[in-house]
Amino acid sequence: MSAQPHELATYSAQFERYANALTAAERAPRSVQFSRFLASGFPDKHQEDWRYSDLSRLAEQNYEPDVTTADGLPIVLLPDADALVYINGHLQGAPSTSRWHSDTCELPPPATGVDALNAAFASGGLRLRLDRNTKLEKPLQVLFISRAEAQASMSHQRHRIELGDQAEATVLLDFSGGGGERLATHFFDVRLGRGAKLTLYRIQNEAAGGTLVTRIDAKLSRDAKFEALTVDLGGGFIRHDLDVVLAESGAEAIVAGLYAQAKNSHIDNHVRAVHAAPHCTSRMTYRGLVDEKTKAVFNGKVVVQPGAQKTDSEQRIANLLLSRKAEVNAKPDLEIYADDVKCAHGATVGQLDEVALAYLRSRGIAKEVARAMLLRAFALEILDRIEWPALRTRIEAALHLPSELTVDFEA
Amino acid sequence: MKNIESMLLEITNLHARVEEKEILKGLNLSIKPGEVHAIMGPNGSGKSTLSNVIAGREGYEVTEGTVLFDGKNLLDLEPEVRACEGIFLGFQYPVEIPGVSNITLLKAAINARRKHQGEAEIAPNDFLAWVRDRAKLVKIDPKMLSRGVNEGFSGGEKKRNEILQMLVLQPRLMILDETDSGLDIDALKVVSDGINALRGPERATVLVTHYQRLLDYVQPDYVHVLARGRIVKSGGPELAKELEEKGYGWLEAA
Ligand SMILES: Nc1ncnc2c1ncn2[C@@H]1O[C@H](COP(=O)(O)OP(=O)(O)OP(=O)(O)O)[C@@H](O)[C@H]1O
Ligand SMILES: [Mg+2]
Repeated sequence: MSAQPHELATYSAQFERYANALTAAERAPRSVQFSRFLASGFPDKHQEDWRYSDLSRLAEQNYEPDVTTADGLPIVLLPDADALVYINGHLQGAPSTSRWHSDTCELPPPATGVDALNAAFASGGLRLRLDRNTKLEKPLQVLFISRAEAQASMSHQRHRIELGDQAEATVLLDFSGGGGERLATHFFDVRLGRGAKLTLYRIQNEAAGGTLVTRIDAKLSRDAKFEALTVDLGGGFIRHDLDVVLAESGAEAIVAGLYAQAKNSHIDNHVRAVHAAPHCTSRMTYRGLVDEKTKAVFNGKVVVQPGAQKTDSEQRIANLLLSRKAEVNAKPDLEIYADDVKCAHGATVGQLDEVALAYLRSRGIAKEVARAMLLRAFALEILDRIEWPALRTRIEAALHLPSELTVDFEA
Repeated sequence: MKNIESMLLEITNLHARVEEKEILKGLNLSIKPGEVHAIMGPNGSGKSTLSNVIAGREGYEVTEGTVLFDGKNLLDLEPEVRACEGIFLGFQYPVEIPGVSNITLLKAAINARRKHQGEAEIAPNDFLAWVRDRAKLVKIDPKMLSRGVNEGFSGGEKKRNEILQMLVLQPRLMILDETDSGLDIDALKVVSDGINALRGPERATVLVTHYQRLLDYVQPDYVHVLARGRIVKSGGPELAKELEEKGYGWLEAA
C-alpha cells in the first residue's frame, strides 16, 4: 500500500481526539476499524477496484472531523415530499424528523480502506424502517449538504433503509456542496423484504473541492424490486459504489444513471449486481456526457452465481466524449457460473453526432442550442425514468437542457 | 450583362474542395427571384457538394470565388445564419435524430428565424395551427411529429418531411437535392405540390435531380448540366428531355 501509517498522522491525531470523547465500550470497535484503516491506507491505483480513482492523495490532507452544527444554508426542498436535512453530517431541525433518523449506527465487520475510515468515525444518519405492508406516504428527500468550514473538514455517516415484506418507499439521497475542502463518506445498507419495492434516487451536485465517497449495499429478498437512479452533476472527486445482491428468486434490480455536466471532475461509478438465486432480473443503464477535463470511470459487473439459472441481465453503457481533454473508462464485466442465463452487455464511447448537429443548424438553430438539444436527446434515456416531476425539472434545469415540446394534435 | 442587384443568388468562379480533393472547379450560376433552376449531371459530379457549400455545411472548403445571396457574401455566414436568411436545403439523405422530436425541431427553427428577424416567438396556438395545415398538405399525420426527427420514417416519409419543414419555414431559396429520388408516384405528386405551393415572385428554387418526371410536375425555367465541377451546359426545359434521351456522354465529349 502506498499510504503508509506515518503519512496518515493527521488522521491519527484526529481519531485520538475523537475517540477520547467516547466511552470505553464505544471506543473498542472504532479503534479496531481505525487500525485497519491505518494498515490498509487509502486505496490507490494498485487496487483493481480503484485503478482509475487513486485516493492516496488524501493521505496528506488534514480534515477536521466536523463538530459545528450549521444552519442558514439555502436548502432546496422538493414539493410533496418529506425531508431530512444533514449539514456536514449533522441532523438539522426538529426532532419530528427523527422518525427517520438514528444517532447511532451499526458497524460492519472490520473493514479496510475507506470502509474502515468510515467505520472508525461514522455517526448515524438516515434510518428508515417500514413494517410489512406499509407504504411511505410521501417520497423522502434526504439532503446531505457540504458546507465550507474555516478548515478542511470531513464527515462520515452510515445509513440504513429496511423495508418489510410488501412495503414501499421512494427516497431521494440529495448531495450538494457549498464549497470548501470537504471529504464525506456515506455508506447505505438497504434491505428489501419479500415483494418490497424501493425507488432510490441519488443526486450529487458537490462543489469543486468536494470529495464524496458513497456506497449503497442492497440486498433483495424474493420478488423485491429495487429501482435506483443516480445523477452526477458536479464534484471534485466522486466515487459511488452500488452493490446489489439478488438473494432470492424473482428479485429485480433496475439501476440507471447519468453523469453529466461536471466540470473538471473525477466521477467513478462502480455498479455490481450479484445474482445469487434463480429467476432474477437486473438492468444497468448508464449514460455519460463527459466534457472539459472531466474524467469518468464506469465499471459495471454482473455476477451469476452457481445455481442462479434463468438469470436475465443486461448492461448498457453509453458515453459521449465532448472535449479532447475529457476521459472515459467504461467497462462492462460478466462473471457467469450458471449455464441457463441471458446476459447482455455493451459499452460505447462516442462523440456528438456531427451530421445531426449540421442538420439542426441547417434549419436555423444556433450551434449551441443544437448541441444542447442533442445532449438532451442522449440523456433522455435516463431522464425519462425519473417519475418524480419536480425532481426531473430540477435536474434538467441543473443540466441547462432545453425543454422538449409536447403537443397533442388530437386536442 | 446581368443585373447583380436583381439576383437572389450569384455564384462566381466557385472552387471548393472536400478532404483535399477539388470538386467544384470554377462554377458560375445566377438565379433571380421567381425562377426555378434544375441541375442535372452524372453521379459524383458535385451537385450535392454545390448544395452543401451554399448551405454552409462544415467540411467543404471554398478556395476561390464568391457566393452572394441577396447581395450579401454568403460564405462569411454560419450555416444557421444562412438558414435564418432564408436558405433551405432539402437533403439527399435526411438524418434521423432520435430524442429530438420533429415538432421541437420545427418550433426551434421557426423561433430561431423570428429571433434573427427581431420578431417575438410564435404563439403556441398559431404554431400548432400553422404546422397542422402544412402537414395536411404533404399528407403527414401530425402524430408522427411527436416522434424523433425522421426516426423510423420510410424513405418517402423522410422526403415528405423535408418538404414539410420547407413549407413551415417558408424560405426564399429552396435547394432540393434529389428530393424526388425513391418516391412513388403519389409521393412525387405530394412533394411537387409542396414545391409548387411555395413558388412565387419572391422565391427561387434549385432542383437537383436525375429525372425528367419531377420536371413534369415542377416546370423549370432553366436546366443546367453540372459535370467535372462546373456548369457545362445550360438551356430551357427541353434540355432535360434531351438528356433523358441521350445521357451525358455527348456533353462529356464536347
Ligand atoms: N465527405 C466527403 N469525403 C470525401 N469525398 C467526398 C465527400 N463528399 C463528396 N465527396 C466526393 O465528391 C465528389 C462529388 O460528390 P457529390 O456528392 O457532390 O456528387 P453528386 O453530383 O451529388 O452525385 P450523386 O448524383 O451521386 O448524388 C464525389 O467524388 C464524392 O465522392
Ligand atoms: Mg448528390
